Amino acid sequence: MKMKSVYKVPDGKLIKIFIKYNASSKTIESITIAGDFFAYPEESIQQLEQVLRGKPLDEKKLETMIKDFVKDNQVEFIGVSPASITDAIMRCK
Amino acid sequence: MMTEEWRLLQTGLLSAAENMAIDRAILVAHSKGHVPPTVRLYGWNPAAISIGYFQQLTEEVDLTACEKDHIDYVRRITGGGAVFHEDEVTYSFVIQEKHPQISKNILESYKTICLAIMNGLDFLGVKSTYAPINDILVNNKKISGNAQTRKQKTVLQHGTILTDVDVDKMFRLLKVPNEKIKGKMIANVKERVTSLTHELGSDFSFEDVSNALKKGFEETFDVTFTTGILTDEEKTLATSFQKTTFGSKKWNHQR
Repeated sequence: MKMKSVYKVPDGKLIKIFIKYNASSKTIESITIAGDFFAYPEESIQQLEQVLRGKPLDEKKLETMIKDFVKDNQVEFIGVSPASITDAIMRCK
Repeated sequence: MMTEEWRLLQTGLLSAAENMAIDRAILVAHSKGHVPPTVRLYGWNPAAISIGYFQQLTEEVDLTACEKDHIDYVRRITGGGAVFHEDEVTYSFVIQEKHPQISKNILESYKTICLAIMNGLDFLGVKSTYAPINDILVNNKKISGNAQTRKQKTVLQHGTILTDVDVDKMFRLLKVPNEKIKGKMIANVKERVTSLTHELGSDFSFEDVSNALKKGFEETFDVTFTTGILTDEEKTLATSFQKTTFGSKKWNHQR
C-alpha cells in the first residue's frame, strides 16, 4: 500500500514522505524522506531510509530510532528534526 | 600579513547540467589544493529549474511544461528547494572547511557567506537583511536564496540574486502541493519576492551585479581576486560529472 504525507515543519522546511506500507506485516516496506530541507552529510538520508525499512509505524519507536541514528552518525539537520520527521511519517495516509 | 589571493571565474550562461558539474568540479579540485578558494559568477541558458538534493523531480517540476517552454532541469548536490533560474546572477563559492574565516558551524558559515552577498548588494545601493537559514531579503522580500554542502572537507555554497522575476511563468513550470490554492500561492509569492529590476529599475547590467558581488566577497573576507579560468583538471572533471551525474536521468530522477 502506498502512502504519502506533505508536512510543513513550523518555523522549518517542508517534508514529503512516501511510504510503501506492508499491511500484513504492519511495517514500512520502503520509505523516501523528501523535501526542501538540509541534512549534512546529505547521503545520511538514504542511510536513514534503509534503517527505517521493515520497522513498524510506531511514533515513539521511530523517533528514538531517528534520534539515535542522528547521534551515531553525527548528522546535522537544518529545517527538520527527528521529531518533525517522525511527525511527517505518522501523518502518512 | 599579505592579502590572500582568491580566484574569480566568469563562465557566462551555461546549461543546468554544465553549471552544476562545474560547481562540483571546482569543489573537487579545491579540496585537493589544486586551485585557490574560488568564486564563480554565472547564469543559465536555457532557463532552468534546479531542485534540492532531497526533492523528487516529478513531484516538484512539470516536465511536460518544461519541455514545451524549452526549460532545462537538474537536481543539485545541495539541499533546499526548487528554483527557477532565468533572470538572475548566480554565484558559487568553494573554500576548504579548515580556512580560518569559515566556521565549523554550518549555520554560522551560511551567515558569513550571505554577508558577502549582502555587502555586494550594498555596492549596488541595495540594502538587504539576512533571513536565516538561507535567504536574503530587500524590504522584507526575498531577492536571494542560497544552499550549501560540505564534501571532502570543502564547503560549496551557491545561490542566486534575482535580477528580474516572472512568478506566473515559474508556477507554470513548478508543481504545487495543492492545485486548489495555486492562485493564492502565486499571489503570495508575488508579495514575498523582489528583484534588482524591481528595486533599481532596469539601469544595471549583469556585469554591474557580478562586479558588486566580487567586491562584496573582497570586503567581507579581506582578499583580492584574480580573474582565472577553469583548469584542465576542472574541465575534465566537469565533463565527467555532466555525463555521469547532472546530465543523467538516473541522477535527476533518483529520489
